[in-house]
Amino acid sequence: MSIVPKETIEVIAQSIGIANLSSDVALALAPDVEYRLREIMQEAIKCMRHSKRTVLTAEDVNSALSLRNVEPIYGFASGDPLRFKRAVGHKDLFYIDDRDVDFKEVIDAPLPKAPLDTAVVAHWLAIEGVQPGIPENAPTEAIVAPSENKKSENSKEDGLLVDLKLPVKHVLSRELQLYFDKITELTVTRPESILFKEALVSLAVDSGIHPLVPYFSYFIADEVARSLNDLPILFALMRVVRSLLQNPHIHIEPYLHQLMPSIITCVVAKRLGSKITDNHWELRDFSANLAASVCKRYGHVYHNLQSRLTKTLINAFLDPSKALTQHYGAIQGLAALGTSVVRLLVLPNLEPYLQLLEPEMQLEKQKNEMKRKEAWRVYGALLRAAGKCLYDRLKLFPGLLSPPRHPVWRINGRVATSQSNKRMSSTNLSSQQPPFKKVAADRPAGAMQPIAVAANLQGAPDGFPTRSSGTGVGQPSTSGQVPMKMTGGRQEKGGSVAPKGSAVLAQAWKEDLDARHLLASLFRLFGEGVFSFIKPVEMSFFI
Amino acid sequence: MEEEEIQKAVVAYLRKKGFTNTELALHEEQNRVSFSSNSDHSVSRFENGPVRYSDGYSKLRLWVYSSLDMYKHELLRVLFPVYIHCFMDLVAGGHAHEARNFFHTFREDHESMHLRDLQKLEGILSPLHLEEIELSRSFRKNKFKIKMCEYSYDLLLQYLQKTQSFTMRGVINEHIDFEVSPGQPTSSSGDADFVTIEGRNTNLARQINQKEIHWGLLEDSVEQHLKRAVSDSEKAESANKEVNPEDNKKRPLDGGKQGIPVKMVKKDKLVSMVGKNVRSETSAVSVAPRVKPELTLPATLVEVEQAILDDLRSRVQLNSLALPSISFYTFINTCNRLNCSSISQDGSLVAGGFSDSSLKVWDISKIDQLVKTSSLQGEKESAKNENLPATEEGRKPYTLFHGHSGPVYSATFSPFGEFLLSSSSDSTIRLWSTKLNTNLVCYKGHNYPVWDVQFSPVGHYFASSSHDRTARIWSMERIQPLRIMAGHLSDVDCVQWHANCNYIATGSSDKTVRLWDVQSGECVRIFIGHRSMILSLAMSPDGCYMASGDEDGTIMMWDLSSGRCVSPLVGHSSCVWTLAFSCEGTLLASGSADCTVKLWDVTASTRASRVESKSSSPNRLRLLKALPTKSTPIYTLQFSRRNLLFAAGAL
Repeated sequence: MSIVPKETIEVIAQSIGIANLSSDVALALAPDVEYRLREIMQEAIKCMRHSKRTVLTAEDVNSALSLRNVEPIYGFASGDPLRFKRAVGHKDLFYIDDRDVDFKEVIDAPLPKAPLDTAVVAHWLAIEGVQPGIPENAPTEAIVAPSENKKSENSKEDGLLVDLKLPVKHVLSRELQLYFDKITELTVTRPESILFKEALVSLAVDSGIHPLVPYFSYFIADEVARSLNDLPILFALMRVVRSLLQNPHIHIEPYLHQLMPSIITCVVAKRLGSKITDNHWELRDFSANLAASVCKRYGHVYHNLQSRLTKTLINAFLDPSKALTQHYGAIQGLAALGTSVVRLLVLPNLEPYLQLLEPEMQLEKQKNEMKRKEAWRVYGALLRAAGKCLYDRLKLFPGLLSPPRHPVWRINGRVATSQSNKRMSSTNLSSQQPPFKKVAADRPAGAMQPIAVAANLQGAPDGFPTRSSGTGVGQPSTSGQVPMKMTGGRQEKGGSVAPKGSAVLAQAWKEDLDARHLLASLFRLFGEGVFSFIKPVEMSFFI
Repeated sequence: MEEEEIQKAVVAYLRKKGFTNTELALHEEQNRVSFSSNSDHSVSRFENGPVRYSDGYSKLRLWVYSSLDMYKHELLRVLFPVYIHCFMDLVAGGHAHEARNFFHTFREDHESMHLRDLQKLEGILSPLHLEEIELSRSFRKNKFKIKMCEYSYDLLLQYLQKTQSFTMRGVINEHIDFEVSPGQPTSSSGDADFVTIEGRNTNLARQINQKEIHWGLLEDSVEQHLKRAVSDSEKAESANKEVNPEDNKKRPLDGGKQGIPVKMVKKDKLVSMVGKNVRSETSAVSVAPRVKPELTLPATLVEVEQAILDDLRSRVQLNSLALPSISFYTFINTCNRLNCSSISQDGSLVAGGFSDSSLKVWDISKIDQLVKTSSLQGEKESAKNENLPATEEGRKPYTLFHGHSGPVYSATFSPFGEFLLSSSSDSTIRLWSTKLNTNLVCYKGHNYPVWDVQFSPVGHYFASSSHDRTARIWSMERIQPLRIMAGHLSDVDCVQWHANCNYIATGSSDKTVRLWDVQSGECVRIFIGHRSMILSLAMSPDGCYMASGDEDGTIMMWDLSSGRCVSPLVGHSSCVWTLAFSCEGTLLASGSADCTVKLWDVTASTRASRVESKSSSPNRLRLLKALPTKSTPIYTLQFSRRNLLFAAGAL
């Protein structure tokens, strides 16, 4: 019933030489011992509090004992915390490790260093209620809880002390003002002059123009909105933007939000320039590259920069009501952002888009030569984007066109080359060709080869049973569902290839498949146009 | 059979006399008695045994917990006293084992509110201990006082009648006084007040708290001199400044610290010039009648008075918007041996009392020079110095006072810094001269360690408090105490003078603060409300309020005239070692073991509470700022007369 069991009393009795303590006595003593212990501890806690400590020490217990006129317990007075050790074999029995000390050792030991003397150092904890940020003070931000911050704010409000932040006056030196005036004037009036080119260089390297950045960004945004009909000025403005972006001494990040709309405008605007002869395509290409470079450089700072840009572009691309010029700009913008963007966003939409584009390109359907020209431009841009993507893929997976299949390629290739060479030479973007779809349909061979392999592997359970199941899933997910139909007649030929499929091929299988489908579908859509993007060496496989 | 006959006789008598009402009442009573005795038969085995306590209590508890939400918190208040008395009854009946079981079964319910009481009572296992522990004695002697609304009271009575649990009824009748108030139950937020108020000498406390006290300031104070001086010409002021030696001494000290104080002082002057008008207005408004000193006060020297006047003139006006600057003195290399510290009014002297019974005094104004000289000295020379301590003046950065034979628990500077008092566990108080660097007097009177000693605001007199449960008033020239204040039920842990020197306040381990009349030695106020040992006290300079800080980190602000708690200040998480009011009484600074100095807005809270004091909702005093140190608990806080706050702590 007491936390001191009677066994403890018996043990204590034995230790002081009372061997035959009756258990009744022990039982009666136990609660009293507990009570006295609590009493001593209560006094010890008082002593601790008056020593302004929150940790109880052996000294406190001793002073409590002396308060009760009991002899203190000697031997525990050292300032170190007591080190208890667990008794071997017992779970909850502890003892203090009290080693025998050899006198000689103690005497021979070198004298310890004298402890440092007590001293008082002064510092400012607060100056008029504010903690100065000196090393003696705790770092305030880390410690002060937000609720307390709020409270102090409240107190300010209570006191009707309104702390308004006045707008900061921005002082520009006269030189900078002159510089700014000169540059803007050059941009607007003489964008072709040599002086402007030098101005661009200066903008790209000058270290002192940071104060002007807000003015420039405002100027650009303003001027782009105003002179959408003036192509040279737009071009000049974009060049200024590029120079500013190139300048390593200025922090342009805070002004990007002002600059980006202007750049995007120059990419996807419906009309840029007033005359038909204006080469706005070039401006679009230039601005697209500019936008892409901004994304690359500051994408990590503004994580939503690229996503916003691509969203804008893809919206322009997929909206059939938009003009072809806008489509062109969007495609160029997306292409500039990299092949993965093209692969993920453009390629899935390629087929339906081309179907839309086709009538525009045909002489008989689109009488307006201007429109037709634009359509071919767009077609060219798409081809370039897709082709780049394909090229990239091929570079990544050189095993795609591996030697073992060579003989087969050759057989098929012969057919392909004979005509594709011809076609290739004639694949001129400006030429008035019938749609390539027909060509693709005529000779599926070139496109067929990889698919044939795919289909055959799928149908060859002896080779790669696990893989094949993977392909079953993988194939429909890619853009090339149509090719499956086309493989029909080719199966026997591909059959001879399948067993030769090397282990390398098997490993790179899934990705390869993806790429192969890409090639296939691209070929189907573009015809030999895509071949120009395959390296000559790889081309040789086809030939 | 005899009883029956008597009854018959009684009934016959009543009939004959025609007391029909009485007869009916008698019958009714008889029926009830017989009924209850019948029903008791079945449970009598339990009723006599110790089981009835735990049985009855657990039933009561269940009932309370399932009672209506609106009245639950009022009924809950009943549980603790019943619990405590059931336990003590069991102990007194010799059922130690059952008592322990009972105690532990229901302990959790009360831990949040009464942890400390429970810890004290936990060890009680025999009737003898009950007699010994003062807490249990006070529980036994006094009745708990519980406030509840009419309906809750009815509910309780109904329950007790219905369940026929005589044990519970007995306990409640015997130990609880109900104060039934008509109307709605009080809000549960006020719970703490009602629970802690009970259990003590509430009647006595109320009686005592009715006594009249004069908390006004002294008639002939220096503050008044100031007003007179203000009305004097500007010329006198500037003249004072030049001749004033105090000021010259203070300047270099302040200037040494980053040059900020100088700027501040200038600014302060502007503020104080503005502030004077405000102050004179406020003092005109304040209704505090000036009182005559009960003690014969020592005469203040003219030059000292000049110094004070000068300080008052350049005082910074502090309020919730203008917070003080705090100069912090950190004791380093103390090895946990620093027990207390004290800072003189002007902040130039800092004393530390150590557990190795030494007392050390640093002169802050000389420390800078010392650092320079010691750095110039070679290593050898400084090593030599350690062998001859304190013989050569100024070699050590501090003055060592040896004399005590036990840990020094408290030290206090006289108002003008020429004397230092220290109290120690050797039960003596010693007076030291800071000019002569020597011990002047040893005051013996207490029988146990002297926990605290405080100079009166005018000097000459001082008060001490001790483990022997008394507080004593002394004057410097007598080695016997002038008054002995006895009445606390446990150690008197801290003592503080009232601003007019006619009263002292003492805080004790019995969780109460008492106010004593110095002249008569009587207790004139008891402040009940703390839940643990009181560690620090502070009196507001206007004499109306007192702040007390306890072991849990709670600070309470008391209205001296009513004896009521104005508002509890919750914010510290550990012992509040020290409290200090700013000189105009607008701010309260508190220093705690949780390593923060907190500044509280006093004006807002007291003003608000005066309006709301009747509505009994405890409003919180506003915390203005919490200033954390790196890891230094704050031992002492002291506002200088110019309202610069000094703080000290041991790293």
